[in-house]
Amino acid sequence: MSKRRIKKVAVLGSGVMGSRIACHFANIGLEVLLLDIVPRELNDTEKAKNLTLEDKSVRNRIVNDAFTAAIKSSPAPLYSKKFANRISLGNFDDNLSEIAEADWVIEVVVERLDIKKVVFEKVEKFRKEGTIISSNTSGIPIESMLEGRSDDFKTNFLGTHFFNPPRYLELLEIIPSSKTNPELVEFMLDYGRKYLGKKTVLAKDTPAFIANRIGVFSIMSLFHTVEKMGLTVEEVDKLTGPVLGRPKSATFRTCDVVGLDTLVHVANGVAENCPNDEKKSAFEIPSYVKHMVEQNWLGSKSGQGFYKKVKGADGKSEILSLDLKTLEYKTQDKVKFDSIGKAREIDDLAEKTRVLFNHKDKGGDFYRTTFTDLFSYVSFRIPEISDELFRIDDGVKAGFGWQLGPFESWDALGVSTVLAKMKESGKAVAPWVEEMIAAGNDSFYKIENGSRLYYDIPTKTYKAIPGTENLVVLDNLRAEHTVWKNNDATIIDLGDGILNLEFHSKMNTIGAGTINAINKAIDLAEKEYEGLVVYNTGGNFSAGANVGMIFMMAVEQEYDELNFAIKQFQNTMMRVRYSSIPVVVATHQMALGGGCELSMHADKVIAHAETYMGLVEFGVGVIPGGGGSKEFALRLSDELKDGDIRINTFRERFLTIGQAQVATSGEEAFELGYLRRGVDEVIVSRELQLTRAKKAALELVEKGYTKPIERTDIKVLGQEALGIVYVGANSMKSGKYISEHDQLISEKLGYVLAGGDLSEITEVSERYLLDLERKAFVELCAKKKTLQRLQSMITKGKVLRN
Amino acid sequence: MNTYIVAGYRTAVGKSGRGSLRFTRPDDLAANVIQHLMNQNPSITPQEIDDVIVGNATPEAEQGLNIGRLVSLMGLNSIDVPGMTVNRYCSSGLETIAIADSKIKNGMGNLIIAGGVESMSPIAMGGWRIVPNAKVAKENPTYYWGMGLTAEEVANKFNVSREDQDQFAFESHMKALKANENGTFKDDIVPIQVEQVYLDENGKRQTRSYTFDQDEGPRAGTSVEALARLRPVFAQGGSVTAGNSSQTSDGAAFVMVASEEMVKRHNLKPIARMVSYAAAGVDPSIMGIGPVKAIPLALKQAGLKLSDIDLIELNEAFASQSLAVIRELDLNPEILNVNGGAISLGHPLGCTGAKLSVQIFNELKRRNKKYGMVTMCVGTGQGAAGIFEML
Repeated sequence: MSKRRIKKVAVLGSGVMGSRIACHFANIGLEVLLLDIVPRELNDTEKAKNLTLEDKSVRNRIVNDAFTAAIKSSPAPLYSKKFANRISLGNFDDNLSEIAEADWVIEVVVERLDIKKVVFEKVEKFRKEGTIISSNTSGIPIESMLEGRSDDFKTNFLGTHFFNPPRYLELLEIIPSSKTNPELVEFMLDYGRKYLGKKTVLAKDTPAFIANRIGVFSIMSLFHTVEKMGLTVEEVDKLTGPVLGRPKSATFRTCDVVGLDTLVHVANGVAENCPNDEKKSAFEIPSYVKHMVEQNWLGSKSGQGFYKKVKGADGKSEILSLDLKTLEYKTQDKVKFDSIGKAREIDDLAEKTRVLFNHKDKGGDFYRTTFTDLFSYVSFRIPEISDELFRIDDGVKAGFGWQLGPFESWDALGVSTVLAKMKESGKAVAPWVEEMIAAGNDSFYKIENGSRLYYDIPTKTYKAIPGTENLVVLDNLRAEHTVWKNNDATIIDLGDGILNLEFHSKMNTIGAGTINAINKAIDLAEKEYEGLVVYNTGGNFSAGANVGMIFMMAVEQEYDELNFAIKQFQNTMMRVRYSSIPVVVATHQMALGGGCELSMHADKVIAHAETYMGLVEFGVGVIPGGGGSKEFALRLSDELKDGDIRINTFRERFLTIGQAQVATSGEEAFELGYLRRGVDEVIVSRELQLTRAKKAALELVEKGYTKPIERTDIKVLGQEALGIVYVGANSMKSGKYISEHDQLISEKLGYVLAGGDLSEITEVSERYLLDLERKAFVELCAKKKTLQRLQSMITKGKVLRN
Repeated sequence: MNTYIVAGYRTAVGKSGRGSLRFTRPDDLAANVIQHLMNQNPSITPQEIDDVIVGNATPEAEQGLNIGRLVSLMGLNSIDVPGMTVNRYCSSGLETIAIADSKIKNGMGNLIIAGGVESMSPIAMGGWRIVPNAKVAKENPTYYWGMGLTAEEVANKFNVSREDQDQFAFESHMKALKANENGTFKDDIVPIQVEQVYLDENGKRQTRSYTFDQDEGPRAGTSVEALARLRPVFAQGGSVTAGNSSQTSDGAAFVMVASEEMVKRHNLKPIARMVSYAAAGVDPSIMGIGPVKAIPLALKQAGLKLSDIDLIELNEAFASQSLAVIRELDLNPEILNVNGGAISLGHPLGCTGAKLSVQIFNELKRRNKKYGMVTMCVGTGQGAAGIFEML
């Protein structure tokens, strides 16, 4: 059989999930056909226009409306608005035959088996042999959908469970039926990861599959614990949020976002369909939840749930929380737990978890109860929902944003230690855990030779996680391959002559420590290695320069020191480009300010698709001072051709920095000029990013990398551009769109981008522009309003527009 | 020497960008009107015309290369008649009539075609390459302010409320709609045959043609409430919106100015004569107030009082400046913009002066009145006013 190639995808059903799944396929460059039903009757607008049920606009109304709403929604489902034209819209009656051209048909219609069956019957009529068909169901057994289908359909059919919003939520559960071709399962696990950027998790065809089964158990069992322990809503959210490496929305706020009705629906489904679940009672709905559903307090969608936003008499809004005893909303209490206070002082999550679990306070009690409940439950889910334990961790982590999965947390706490406690308190554990320990294995995972292994229950041995054999994973290398380290950064040997520099300063900001580390990494690489990758596993690639350091020098009026520090920053950025080894920067999430400037000086950027890049220095009252302004002038010069209307291209570049535009995706970073087409790359899979970045560095080495020569041929516009800068800044200020200080910063930026007030278009050097940029930066730091902006960012994390 | 306006026509005004005239270039638009002028006076030969003077506010790109000369060649189908382009922004089309009039009065010609054209569809406001003098921009930024910002400044300085502006805009639409309905502009308008070449749904080349002969700016569905909902577009917390500003438009208008000798030679019927024309400078930051200075000058030249004027066309660049001018000079709203103005009918910059002149001739004729005044504010702090007497 020839290789499967996905070129075109048909998505059946354009609801919230369907439309957004279609968008994500468009994101990765596929042609997409999105279909929905034909409306039964005309609406008022259509009647007014004298349209009939035969008009195309009426026939496609449902899909048109749903798709329009989706592409307008936030967070944006498309990497770039331009990608919308990759999706063609139609209806089941007129366009279903077009699925013959699709390589994959995804069903995302309403969750009713009878309706799904009708859809599949129609699909069978038009699909070509070998076409993949999948259902996005979250609760209907995949097996039950096979009835009446052909053999070719059955072998090419499986469940593909995306989570909302599909662009952003990492999880994709792959659920084969008993008839699914095993080759297809392997293909989908790989395709979902490499092409769609998802964490693909193989799940058995059991109720709620993996993530929802465990996640909903965790919430439901917690509902009961909370009641027993008499904890408040805000207490629980404090206990189960970031301190545990889980999302800020923690437990109850997550419920509000998901919708209590949805949660109850899934819980009831499990209770009904899993008669042998040993914790069936946990899925019973507590009375306060029942009351909330009856009152329609479902969360965000109905305006109130566990929390309720109200406007006080003073016009200020306040978020009240529900008192679970009185079932009335009240002002939130200040939450204080000794255990949390202790844990906050620790960076390492495993260590944090240990402290929380072992602390003797109410918080500790809570953790001991909920963790052991969870451990017990997941131990019994093998082999019911998965044969391998890592799939449960992967599912929960990717589906609910936990940094540690249940088995990983258990590992962190010590498997046998916890097991002993569980036995003491009479909590059951599946026999395989005891067998594991009896065989002398005290952890579910271990790292060997840079690979992470999991405990394989049937063979009682450790095995590599399938699909990760050839991956470069920083977490697996850190312990044994660290070459150099300071407080803010670590240099790790990735093998094959490539070093990795990872930041771990606060928010991964760039300050003295990281600057030092960048230079050290380049030094080391030039001396003993072949290339360098800058990549990290933090929440964000880098939030920018360390403004605290700049503020200190500015406020002390140590301008010479400040000038020196900025110069060092610039020199370091220049070294990133002008060294004897290739430097590849691999970004993810926020890459702002200095983080963006670092990327702009790389030989190549391998940006994760979810990279939010931007030069946002205006927000703190300065212009990009680490070569960002220089680089924009350089790129402007390179993009101008003879006869272009230079001033307009100049304006585009000027406004990108002047409006602190942040790309909302890697693709948009190209559109805004932060990334270079033909040089930089976007990769959809975060999991594969470092492997690709290392390979890219090696490719540059193989091609014969030589140190580039600093540019001296940058054409700047001089006075030709300055006039429009002054007019624009004055007009924006006069129109009250920007402040007087913004006007000043704009003029300084314009001056740098124009290369100063030269009388004619002139070729200048990078050094010349860096000097202009630095001078402007330091001058702005001497302004009171810039200090106020810096201070606001440091103390409140907020952009002050003064 | 006496001078006479013996004919005048305009195109209907199209909305810029998405309107009906966007497929017709400005040179073609202007040539069409000139051909129509000639067709209406068949005894006149092109060789008898001394000059073609074309007002244009953005003489570049499609309007570049001295569009005045090109329009002469295209419209008259003769190499013998020269042509020039005149730019005083929004009064260009009135300025050209004044130039023609003066030339003839001074014996520099007997018959001149004058007017203006502007296609705002293909050309960005202000032009494609705006390069202000950096030093001046720093010292006197208001010289380069956008017109919208000056409208805000006028609203602030002369206390023109948002409500009054929206009401004024609404009335402009109502008057224009009524005029359209009554066919008031029929005598003004030269129908334009538009040819469009496009690709159909299947990517096949297709052509279509249609006649455009009615102003498309007036909005039947508008209301004061709808106008009140629009957001200010030139200043944060401002009052000037897309709804109470003039529309950007495509259009052309030309008149024929003749000497006494020429009138006699061809037995032409004089319509009107230009009594006076004046332009004046004001503070560029309150550009819209320009007519307040220009109108008294024009009246003084003419030896007339404001009360002598029977009809006024005050270009509605913005409701804010229109109202400020009306209030400052105590203009009579009953005789002002009786068929709507630029807010509803559109404002093809360089054409507007000639277009308003054509409109005022026909309206004065309908009313059987004598004196009409065309006035407007002009970019970078100017105003202009011209007074005509019907014959």
